[in-house]
Amino acid sequence: MTCYMRLFSNTHILRRGLHSSVSFKGHWNKDWMPNQYPESEEERKRSAKNYNLHESEYTPYKDDHGYGDYPKLPYLGVATRDPFYPYDNPEHRRNFNETLHAEIDMLGEDRYDAGMPSRFSKGYMLWAFVSVFGFLFGSCYLSILYLPSYQPVTAKQYPLDGKTHYTFETRK
Amino acid sequence: MGNLLLRTWEQSTDPEYQPKYDAPPSFDPHLGFQGKREERVMIATEQELRAAKIPKEDWDYCAHHRLDLARCRADVFPFVWKCRDEAATVSHCLKDDWIIRMKEYERERRLLQRKKIQDQAAAA
Repeated sequence: MTCYMRLFSNTHILRRGLHSSVSFKGHWNKDWMPNQYPESEEERKRSAKNYNLHESEYTPYKDDHGYGDYPKLPYLGVATRDPFYPYDNPEHRRNFNETLHAEIDMLGEDRYDAGMPSRFSKGYMLWAFVSVFGFLFGSCYLSILYLPSYQPVTAKQYPLDGKTHYTFETRK
Repeated sequence: MGNLLLRTWEQSTDPEYQPKYDAPPSFDPHLGFQGKREERVMIATEQELRAAKIPKEDWDYCAHHRLDLARCRADVFPFVWKCRDEAATVSHCLKDDWIIRMKEYERERRLLQRKKIQDQAAAA
């Protein structure tokens, strides 16, 4: 996945020929890996430039995250982006060379719209949930309490338990 | 349907004078009959039922038909569909048993209603 991100984010693969025999960076998946976590200010600047970000926008993931120097972008789904902007890649609302979120495979429009304002408030959702399921469970509960849920028959008659049972015919 | 609605209504309005769930009849079995009622007859014996390994919950007044069915199945196995007459006999017997229990329930219900009227008359 990281390789995929680098494919769209690195500038050095811009002018490659499709059948070029010249070896270039980005040819192999190991070349798409992020670099080491930036320790010095100089490395931070270089990483920010590598990902087309301003230095003030650039924050890498924590060093133990395994993302190297990959930038930590706002956790927003693609669905939150402007739908009317003329993107280079409109079906993904993505511009060419744009740095993607590290979890873009989850944030696509067909997945999770993180950060999207919801249509209903949390209180309304809770109210709707409680009223629908409260009606269902409440009616079940009331029916158990008040509806006789058994057949209108007396206990089954077993002859060997010592009692006498009778038919509805009278003895002659 | 109507029976269920009526029982629902009566159990909520008049719970004390309704028959109890899965209980034997509580009144004198001969009350209100011209003479004595016939006793139900158990034909199969416990020994036979044990020998045929009939489960204990089936030791009812249809047990002799169950024995016939078990015997038939043992004779013709695996062609058990030949015993469908015996199986139908068991079913009919169980249906009649059920009808007797329904009649007992209704008798119990009516006698409780009669008792209610008597109690009200005694209280007034």
